[in-house]
Amino acid sequence: MIELRQVTKKYGPLEALHEVSFTAPRGQITGLLGVNGAGKTTALNILTGYFPPTAGQVLVDGMDMLTDSARCKRQIGFLPEKPPIYDEMTVREYLTFASRLREVEARSIPAHVREIIGLCGLEEAADRTLGRLSKGYRQRAGFAQALCGAPPVLVLDEPTVGLDPRQVAEIRELMRRLGEKHTIIFSSHLLSEVQQLCSRVVILHHGRVLREANLGDMMEDGGALRLRVSIALGESRLLPALRSLPCVRRVKTLPTQDAAVTEAVLECDAAQDPQTQLFHLLAAMDAPLRLLYPERDSLEDVFLRATEEG
Amino acid sequence: MTAIYRREMQGYFHTAVGYVYMGVFLAISSVMFYALNLRERSSDLLAFIGYMSYLWMLLSPVLTMRLLAEERRTRTDQLLLTSPVSLPGVILGKYLAAVSVMLLTLLCTGCYVLIVALYGRVYPGELAAGYLGFALQGCAFLAMDLFVSGLCRSPVTAAIAAFGANLAMWMLDLLAAAAPGWLAAVLEFISLYARNEPFLMGQLSFASIVYDLSFAAAFLALGVFTLHARRVK
Repeated sequence: MIELRQVTKKYGPLEALHEVSFTAPRGQITGLLGVNGAGKTTALNILTGYFPPTAGQVLVDGMDMLTDSARCKRQIGFLPEKPPIYDEMTVREYLTFASRLREVEARSIPAHVREIIGLCGLEEAADRTLGRLSKGYRQRAGFAQALCGAPPVLVLDEPTVGLDPRQVAEIRELMRRLGEKHTIIFSSHLLSEVQQLCSRVVILHHGRVLREANLGDMMEDGGALRLRVSIALGESRLLPALRSLPCVRRVKTLPTQDAAVTEAVLECDAAQDPQTQLFHLLAAMDAPLRLLYPERDSLEDVFLRATEEG
Repeated sequence: MTAIYRREMQGYFHTAVGYVYMGVFLAISSVMFYALNLRERSSDLLAFIGYMSYLWMLLSPVLTMRLLAEERRTRTDQLLLTSPVSLPGVILGKYLAAVSVMLLTLLCTGCYVLIVALYGRVYPGELAAGYLGFALQGCAFLAMDLFVSGLCRSPVTAAIAAFGANLAMWMLDLLAAAAPGWLAAVLEFISLYARNEPFLMGQLSFASIVYDLSFAAAFLALGVFTLHARRVK
């Protein structure tokens, strides 16, 4: 649906993005993760046509943003980090203006605006001026603006930043609902938010893409499987045996109060069926297995590892 | 473009800007009308228009200062520039809104014409030429000041810079008087005030019409170029 191809952006001598390529597939929520200054906002501004890249291409449904700008922009609704709102307008006037900008047919604008107001929970504030609204309502109005013209793609730059927990939950719920019909790309540095909402994740760091994968694949990165075990046998006998298993890459012991019990995390090669190898070893050693479960990486682990390596 | 035109018109009259512009323009013009026509018992409206043309220098920045600088300051330009509207569409929508408020204000000065027509004699052809020149001069100033607004980050800076540019345009006449022959000719050619003189004599000058329109078009094109250049930078 949306693709960045080898996009580079330079601000004078500073290179904000370096040959960034990623794809946001149709009908999925893609999260753009990165620390502050990673290049997320620059990437989203280029993706929406706010400014062009120094080099590279942005493709929207196969159309080039540079050569077919108006058609590409019709496909995209954009909520920048600071909602682009006019303080002197009421919410209804603002959404009417945004609908006109997005070439909604004049006759259907009132109904279109009513629908968006309902969808974003703005009924109470519909006829109040934007300058007098709370931050949460202003953010929602900005969100509503992105929906005008019913674009199939929504690009949201840190949509929950600065909101209180209840407002955050409301915006996330709205994104989840919209994600059923729209392709959504949003940036965030909140890992939990990305983990909750996204099916696909792109990690940006210092203007480069470090990882791009479906969320599930990213968590099981590198074919590694981590097994959390508790075995009723002392470490001195057990650890050399565990390390001798072909599937085990690394053993990390955990503190225990009973010297006759070993608590550990085994980092194994998932392709070598580590559970079976472990079963045979423990059976041969007559060591009772008290606990065994696979431990998954959190997105935080993946992100920290990726940015440290990057 | 229509969407932007309508929003700007709304912007002028949802805030004080439109009212301040019209109010100050009409207040000053009524004082001038009293001094030049009523008190002097003169029906010479062209002289009145001639004095009024200096008002553009003062008031044109009021209409243009917000147009691009405010969008940039509040980042609402992100909404415009990520919409399917083209850059010329953005500039033209804003410009036409400013021109509309200016023309609406000029229309209000029609009451002076009515007063003169009631108690004296009005020469419609001459008056129409005078008003045409006055309006074209206003359009030229608005285009230049809109361009200046596109260069600035805040409306206040835009207003001050536009006033400076307008003042420089007025000073061209003074410089022309002191400059050597060829330079004086060039300065007079450029000057919007010198270009307005035929209209103030009741003449329809096509050269001046073409010049004023070209002047406005050139600054609108520069405005588009400025927006484009800022995005590419």
